[in-house]
Amino acid sequence: MSFDSPFHVTVDFSTSHMIFPTIIAVILGILFISILITRGSTILATVSNGNWWPAGIDHKRFFGTIALTVIYFLAMPEVGDIFPNTGLGFYLCSIPYLFALSTLYLHERSRRTLMIAGVNALIAPSVVWYILSELFNISLP
Amino acid sequence: MELLSILTPLFFGLVAAGTVIGIIFGAIPGMTATMAVAVCLPLTYSLGLENGLALLLGLYVGGISGGLVPAILLNIPGTPSSITTTLDGYPMTQNGEGERALKIGITSSLVGGLISLAALYLFAPALADFAIKFSYIEKFLIIFFALTVMAALSNSLLVGIFSGFLGVFISLIGAYDISRGGNGELRLVPEFLEYYLEGGFSLLPVLIGLFGLSTILIDAEDGMKEGKGLSGVKIGGKPFKLSVFKGQIINLIRSSSIGTFVGILPGVGGSAASILAYSQEKNFSKNPEKFGKGAPAGVIASESANNGLTGGALVPLLSLGIPGDSTTAILIGAFTLQGVQVGPLFIGNNPITWDAMIIAMLAANIIMFLVMVLAIRHIAKVVTVPKNILFPIILMMCVVGAYTINYGVMFDVWTLLIFGLFGYLAHKIGLEIAPFIIGFILGPSAEIYFVKSLESFGTLSIFFTKSWIAALLWVLIVLSIAFSVSVARKKKRMADNMDA
Repeated sequence: MSFDSPFHVTVDFSTSHMIFPTIIAVILGILFISILITRGSTILATVSNGNWWPAGIDHKRFFGTIALTVIYFLAMPEVGDIFPNTGLGFYLCSIPYLFALSTLYLHERSRRTLMIAGVNALIAPSVVWYILSELFNISLP
Repeated sequence: MELLSILTPLFFGLVAAGTVIGIIFGAIPGMTATMAVAVCLPLTYSLGLENGLALLLGLYVGGISGGLVPAILLNIPGTPSSITTTLDGYPMTQNGEGERALKIGITSSLVGGLISLAALYLFAPALADFAIKFSYIEKFLIIFFALTVMAALSNSLLVGIFSGFLGVFISLIGAYDISRGGNGELRLVPEFLEYYLEGGFSLLPVLIGLFGLSTILIDAEDGMKEGKGLSGVKIGGKPFKLSVFKGQIINLIRSSSIGTFVGILPGVGGSAASILAYSQEKNFSKNPEKFGKGAPAGVIASESANNGLTGGALVPLLSLGIPGDSTTAILIGAFTLQGVQVGPLFIGNNPITWDAMIIAMLAANIIMFLVMVLAIRHIAKVVTVPKNILFPIILMMCVVGAYTINYGVMFDVWTLLIFGLFGYLAHKIGLEIAPFIIGFILGPSAEIYFVKSLESFGTLSIFFTKSWIAALLWVLIVLSIAFSVSVARKKKRMADNMDA
């Protein structure tokens, strides 16, 4: 894009894909600097306070959720490749994932609560897998 | 006759199922109507457009309505839009009027829903007929206006605008779409991701990540604490009588209309609707001192306004293709899934679908009312479902939704994780998700309208001089910015006064 006069512009089609992203990036830059100017002191105070993330959060449950989810995502296609086009990658990985998450989120682990978590981990993926993959033929990992 | 062939028992069964599931989602604190629609979207694949919409609209109406249950019984808003319901609903429960408060809220929700549905039926076709005449320039200005309105109603104007533009920027990742007149060149994509990001990030995994996974991460950070139970909560007590609405008709109509109007404004959301309606009712009330202590008028204002939002938010979606709130943004996904584009031509080209949507909304409101009135004591127990059972199922459903959206692409599942983490981060640093989402959805259209206008006319001044509509839109844009600056100054002055 070139400016012939203050308002007149000529658009070069071959580079037209960069016009809008460039304008938006410039606006974002200006806005970011404005936010830093108007709120910089508050941000600095929060950071220097030492109470900034991840202090004060439940490390076990927060990072455990992320770690289990990453493992679940990595495992699904691998298991799915062993049983192609069956949705079993999803099914077989969802059972341990649900059980592990349910157990992680439990505050009081007793035989009863673990049993409920286990039954839930078995039933929920089975129902979803059966309805989507078997009844509706929707592809699952 | 064609319409009658769509209105099958399955159609109404799906509306009912959606409404009940939506009520359950709405009743569980931390889960929203948006989440319900996002999680259930993949189920609509094999249902067809009308049946799929029946399910989703039921979820939408039910999800908004269910939020009143924990708001009234536990003082926890089930959804952001029921925040003002807690102010008088919970004191009523403490006074032994829990069931009465619930039924007042349910009836108000029904009235709000029906008034907004009437507004949708009357205004959306008229607005669409008007919008058909819009050129790229007016369409671009409407998107610009939508972004300024959203930013104006954010907690911070600057952060709101930043979030909206960030959404636009992320939406531009990928190729400049040839099918819409672009040159097909990639931009903003790292070389190793070119294969995956040629078409940019898919909308649905982004939405599911932002509203599903991030919500769970926020709760996990907090230790997944179980909410307080219903033990000690007295649901029964003073019986509900319709006479409570005597003298409240104006409140009902005004609050429903405020909800509908706020719904029509893009991206504003239900909490703004209920706060506005509640404060208006308090201002006009002869007994403002009773508010906050268990005044039925407060519950009526809040609940009729937040259900008034449901029809209102569909007006810009179906007439302009601009979602009115985050839930209707996800409904765009349902249309995309079925290969239907929403915009000014939608109602004219799809009259059967349009009629089916109105009937589904009507049925959803009636079913919501009946289910909640008849089974309110059972529904109330839903608020105590343990999170350790529920949240893993929701995460699994998020994965299913993300994976199936493009018929089995694992990168979409990773997109879900990326945007789940982004949503969590946004929550931590105070970015506004609603402007981000609307920016993300409207970004590619804004780009096409802007660049094509420049290619055609060769001058920037055309955005001001094209038509009287363009001039009017500029006036509205300036007004919304002026309004937000004035509100921000007022807030600052109040904060300064409090510090002093």
